[in-house]
Amino acid sequence: MKDQIIITMGREHGSGGHYIADMIARALGIKLYDKDSIESEIVSEGYSEELIRRMDEKPVNFFASRRIGRFSNSLEVNVAEKTFDMIRAKAASGESFLLIGRCGEQVLKDDPHRISLFIGGDPHAKLCRVMEKKGLSAEEAIEEIRTVDHQRKAYHNYYCEMKWGDARAYDLTVKSDVLGMEGTAEMLIRYIRAFQEKD
Amino acid sequence: MLAQVIAICIFLGMFLLIILDQFERHIITLVSGALVLILVFGVCMHSPAAIWEALNLRSFFTASFWYGAGEESTAGINWSTILFIAGMMIMVEGLGKAGFFRWLCLSLAKLVHYHVVPLLICFMCLSAVLSMFIDSITVVLFLATVTLELAQTMKFDPVPMILSEIFCANLGGAATMCGDPPNIIIGTSLGYTFFDFIENTGAIVAVCFAAVAVYFWLCFRKELLREERANGGPVVCPEPSSAITDRRAFGASAAVFLLAVVLLVTHAQTGLTVACIGVIVAALTLLVMALSHGRATVLEVIRGVDYKTLLFFIGLFVSVCGLEKTGVLEIIARFITNISGGHVATIVVIILWLSAVTSAFVDNIPFAATMIPVIRSIAAVEGMDVGVLAWALSLGTDLGGNATPIGASANVVGTSVSAKGGYPIGWGRYCKYCVPATILVMAVSTVCLFLRYL
Repeated sequence: MKDQIIITMGREHGSGGHYIADMIARALGIKLYDKDSIESEIVSEGYSEELIRRMDEKPVNFFASRRIGRFSNSLEVNVAEKTFDMIRAKAASGESFLLIGRCGEQVLKDDPHRISLFIGGDPHAKLCRVMEKKGLSAEEAIEEIRTVDHQRKAYHNYYCEMKWGDARAYDLTVKSDVLGMEGTAEMLIRYIRAFQEKD
Repeated sequence: MLAQVIAICIFLGMFLLIILDQFERHIITLVSGALVLILVFGVCMHSPAAIWEALNLRSFFTASFWYGAGEESTAGINWSTILFIAGMMIMVEGLGKAGFFRWLCLSLAKLVHYHVVPLLICFMCLSAVLSMFIDSITVVLFLATVTLELAQTMKFDPVPMILSEIFCANLGGAATMCGDPPNIIIGTSLGYTFFDFIENTGAIVAVCFAAVAVYFWLCFRKELLREERANGGPVVCPEPSSAITDRRAFGASAAVFLLAVVLLVTHAQTGLTVACIGVIVAALTLLVMALSHGRATVLEVIRGVDYKTLLFFIGLFVSVCGLEKTGVLEIIARFITNISGGHVATIVVIILWLSAVTSAFVDNIPFAATMIPVIRSIAAVEGMDVGVLAWALSLGTDLGGNATPIGASANVVGTSVSAKGGYPIGWGRYCKYCVPATILVMAVSTVCLFLRYL
């Protein structure tokens, strides 16, 4: 039985990934690292809050950035690398946690305690969820889903070997609408517990 | 015609991919170089001689490659540049391991009793002087790291100091033949010596440095003084001696560095070429490391060499050779001559400012490598001395790169080190201070070129 468990979760906008992550983290009694908690941790290390909020999980502007070896002038890249270092340090400290986004499956690729998940969803189900949750019209919701997923994809694909959402990059990819949020969370909890018990 | 079109397409594709930064630079130039050899020289021109000339391997077997004043490289891979840069990389690796750069920075900080404004001036001078002999990336890497360390202890914002260090590193690099890769390529391609650069670009850079030192002092002095006063004056920082990891290795590495400086300054008199100096410096550094640290450290130093940059150069030279051999660069040279109406002053201004504006946004090394055959053709057509065009090209490429955070390698390294230390420098803050400074040095350079040569 593993004494440390690290779950990394990629998600499509509107798939309910965050809601599912929250249920899993509570059921397993581990900390959930999402946008807000990650950003506040980096801010507590001396970075400007405004900058972190602006640059976190943002794609790189190719025309405004340049890389020389391990150095890059891009603020997006520097914030991302700071985030990755923080994630690695947390994993190395022995902490168990669930991480949403931030290329977790790539950053902790070689960690034996890591299990990686990707939550997708039926386009119509995602659209309905975004419209309902944010009170948007269908056109606005379609535009929001397109923009957010485009950003996540560009961010992910810049730092990772495998493409965002490609089933080969994750241990398990699921569509949240097949079993519903609760059903998906329960199934994933069983899957994670089985992984924990495996030597 | 087809060979020209293919050579242009390969070159533009290479440039675009370098800008997009999706693949490593050396992979891009090596693939471009291979395409030039196969498609342009092989398939279109059916010329094994052109392939052989582009690889330029025979230069190793000529006496003038190793010894003889006024070495002048032919088309193809400029092996002098590559050997020299490799040698300097090994030397710098040895110096870094011995703690030389950190010791130098901390000694200067102690010399000015850890007062922030004098430290700003000192670090600008140190950055410019070191960059005259060592690549600006290394200089900025060490200076910015020590600046961050001092800023933490002395509680000041390190960004103004890092910006001025970056700027002065690029400025210092423009002063000598070995300060910046474009200068090494220009020097070895056109047969100039270290002193030719000192007398020409060096003199102009000295004037630019004075102007920039005053500019940055005016920009930052109030802010830095306010921070120092708020923290109750100067504080005590780490002792310089704490930087030295091994006294014997430190002394020997510093001696090799001094020898490198002497060899470079006197290479016109001794007849040793920069390729030869690169090999001597590398061999001595490795010997010092072997004697002081053992064989394992020697391997570590060799592994520390940025071989990707060397491969980048090799691919680049072959790609540029494709343009040169197919006559594309001659067409560009004729175009510049035509739009200037054959007026020398206009040609110089075009070369200077075109180089500066281009280098502000794209890598200045491919640009300089491409422009050398162009200025050679212009000088031949116009019957003018290629020197003034070479100095304009050198100043434009080296100084223009200061304007943006992506204009030169030192800018990328400096802003990255600052960001990793918790002080991100965005385009806005960088350009606010460095664009006016770049315009200032470019204006000074233009005036100096006119007064001296036209």
